Amino acid sequence: MGAAIRWGGAALIMCVVPFLLPLYEMDVYRKMLFWVALAISYNFLFGIAGQMALSHFAFAGIGAYTVVILMTQAGVPLLLAIPLALGLAGILAFIVSFAATRLEGFYLALATLAFAQLFIVILDEGGALTGGTGGLTSYKLPLVFGFEIQGPWLAIAMALVLLLTLAFLLRIDRSWYGRACRAIRDNGEAAAAMGVDVKRTKIMAFTLTSVMAAGAGMVYAFFDNTVNPPVFGLENAFMLLFMVIIGGSGSHLGAIVGAVLLRLLQDMLEPFVGQFHVMGLGILMVVVILVQPKGLVGIWDDLVGRKRAGRRKAKP
Amino acid sequence: MTAGKTFIEISNLSKRFGGLTAVDDVDFEVREGEVLGLIGPNGAGKSTTFNLICGYYPANTGSIRLDGKEIIGQPPHKIAALGIMRTFQHNMPFEGMSVTENVMVGAHTTLHGGLIPVLLGTGRARSEERALRKKADELIDFVGLSEERDTPVTSLSFGQGRLLETARALAGEPRLILFDEPAAGLTPSECVRLSEIIRGIADRGIAVLLIEHDMHFLMSLAERVVVLNFGSKIADALPQDIRNNPAVIQAYLGDAAVIGADTENGSGADA
Repeated sequence: MGAAIRWGGAALIMCVVPFLLPLYEMDVYRKMLFWVALAISYNFLFGIAGQMALSHFAFAGIGAYTVVILMTQAGVPLLLAIPLALGLAGILAFIVSFAATRLEGFYLALATLAFAQLFIVILDEGGALTGGTGGLTSYKLPLVFGFEIQGPWLAIAMALVLLLTLAFLLRIDRSWYGRACRAIRDNGEAAAAMGVDVKRTKIMAFTLTSVMAAGAGMVYAFFDNTVNPPVFGLENAFMLLFMVIIGGSGSHLGAIVGAVLLRLLQDMLEPFVGQFHVMGLGILMVVVILVQPKGLVGIWDDLVGRKRAGRRKAKP
Repeated sequence: MTAGKTFIEISNLSKRFGGLTAVDDVDFEVREGEVLGLIGPNGAGKSTTFNLICGYYPANTGSIRLDGKEIIGQPPHKIAALGIMRTFQHNMPFEGMSVTENVMVGAHTTLHGGLIPVLLGTGRARSEERALRKKADELIDFVGLSEERDTPVTSLSFGQGRLLETARALAGEPRLILFDEPAAGLTPSECVRLSEIIRGIADRGIAVLLIEHDMHFLMSLAERVVVLNFGSKIADALPQDIRNNPAVIQAYLGDAAVIGADTENGSGADA
């Protein structure tokens, strides 16, 4: 009951906020929700399942492009386009995930990076289907019961995708499945000796989280009424990695904190220093990793732990 | 100990790595509730035998039967599901997880829920999770790690890590448990504790296969000892008979030792 109230309350606040914000701030807000949704599913893949994949943002792009192409070029209704786009992302992820079962660490990163690059090449060369380097623009927004989903309503859609993703991830993380994923991350050989099917568990983690990315990408596609290759390029793929590492990889809260912080930093720094904001992120990344490899959440735990230890010493 | 029926039966097992025959036509069996010691000089093929049983690589010839059913060719996670669990020579805990969670991973093959009930948060999934946590706590008490339940796994001592691996292996409700040099690196008091635990495991009717170099530890525990040398079995006998077996003495100490050894009592071995 308490959980229902907490989740309901969070949903209510997240859905009311966009109506209170001016247009620009509302746009910043809904894009932040998009990044948080991606960061939490990427955290599960990278921080919990231990797969150093760089294809996560590409899957968001696959969801975005597929839903737009299906609706605007094939005339597929929204309610059918959603499962079809998720299905396509799932099938592609399933295929790519076989690489994940054979490769680890640096090599998996390279293989998934190649896939992400291939996706961009296909977008660039896709002709009328993908709109080439300019992407697809000015398509019609989806209608639900004859009502056009736009502006703050898209923020609500993104908030719901985010909460659904989080609820889904928290459930599996606290189950036998989450433990199996972390066991593989920590020691694959020992996990197999405990009866964990390493290959199957890895394929499931990759496929599930990639479909989640596609789900967030679908909503994102209607934010600016445009999808284009640079958005889904490598810069953002690495940004996602920075968010999870700076926040604290393996921690859901860390992923949320990392995504919000880096988005805010980018939005605040960019008007003043332009492209140099990337340097700011780089410095932050290095500093956080040097201080505490477990990221900001790890630093917070250290501070709280020290305070508690101090109190314990104070009263013998 | 009254040894029960045969649980695992190994016959004509051979494994070659290139030109080296690591395990050469070995056969032995382990019965339920029995502690079988597996000894031999370094490079004798003990660990290879373990790895063949656990399915890390396929045997070249021979068979490994569980309850009469062939298991060669099955991958390690399926063999674990058949009731064979192990501890590692060098502790291999899941470092990012708590002591309790480590033990819960060990119970992986005993769970039946699947992922859909977890996602739906069904009552059954939740009660299975609660029961699992309780079982893990009981096993942590059994091996004597109750005080360390909330300690990060990385700050456990080596001996405590060994106990954690034991609890983790037990969580899978094994019918055969393989210990790979469990006494190595333990303090004398930890050895005594581990010895009691292994005794307790066998008393539950679980078959125990024990690789060990610490003869004092092994001889007090094992009811039967199999000796390997250069991949071949050279003895399969009671512990007291192994001590006087000339082939075993030769394997460990070389030819010179046999001349001075009492060969009369060696007749019980390998009979």
